[in-house]
Amino acid sequence: MSTIAASAGKARGNIQGIKGMLAVRTIGILILTLAAGCAGVEKAPPAPPSKGQSAAKAAPPSVKAPVKVPEGPVPVAKKLEPPLDVEALKTRLRDTHAIGVFTKLALKNQMDDLLEQFRAHYQSGQKTGVASLRQPYDMLVLKVLSLVQDGDPSLARTISGSREAIWAILADPEKFNSVT
Amino acid sequence: MITPARASALILPLAALFSGPSPAAEDAALLKDLTSVIMLLGMPCGQVVSAKRQADNDHIASCENGNRYRVFVNAEGRAVAQKQ
Repeated sequence: MSTIAASAGKARGNIQGIKGMLAVRTIGILILTLAAGCAGVEKAPPAPPSKGQSAAKAAPPSVKAPVKVPEGPVPVAKKLEPPLDVEALKTRLRDTHAIGVFTKLALKNQMDDLLEQFRAHYQSGQKTGVASLRQPYDMLVLKVLSLVQDGDPSLARTISGSREAIWAILADPEKFNSVT
Repeated sequence: MITPARASALILPLAALFSGPSPAAEDAALLKDLTSVIMLLGMPCGQVVSAKRQADNDHIASCENGNRYRVFVNAEGRAVAQKQ
């Protein structure tokens, strides 16, 4: 009886040993498989971009494009500025019904006086700028605008929009001489 | 059929409509013009309330503040407001 019991215990021990060996092998195979998989990922050459990937890469510039939009309006705004047409402006001032004959004549007198001041400044040969004449110029423009804006708002807008362009002509001796 | 009476009934109002500004409108435009020119020349006036024509481009303007100005174009072609 004791030999049978001893052999049974020995067999049990062998079975447990075999089970342990199997478990170790299984774990080893799993680790190897994982290692090979990771190694494959590391060593794999970069896959050619698929259509989906190229679309994804192309998308960022299109997303960034609106960010560049603020740079766009600058040339657009420049294009919207109409070129100054002094002769047309003179004609419109002469023909407008917003102001009467006396008022037109008084305005013309004051414009001529201002032009005479510019002419005297340039002929005097002073090297200083014409900044001192900016205030009388602005005052005269404001007078014209206040007289015209109710009866001829379109003309008032044109004059207001041409204000800096007219000043640019007056403040430049060469342009001033070519116009007057 | 259009009778002469009907024709004149149509034509007369149209003629009145397109014949130009009424004297009252002309007066209003002149008063506004005189007000603007006096203001431009820096004279105290406020609104011009009445005007009396003396000659072409020569008027006596009465202001709401009581001042009176002779507004005219002088020999040099300048608009002048001369206090009376």
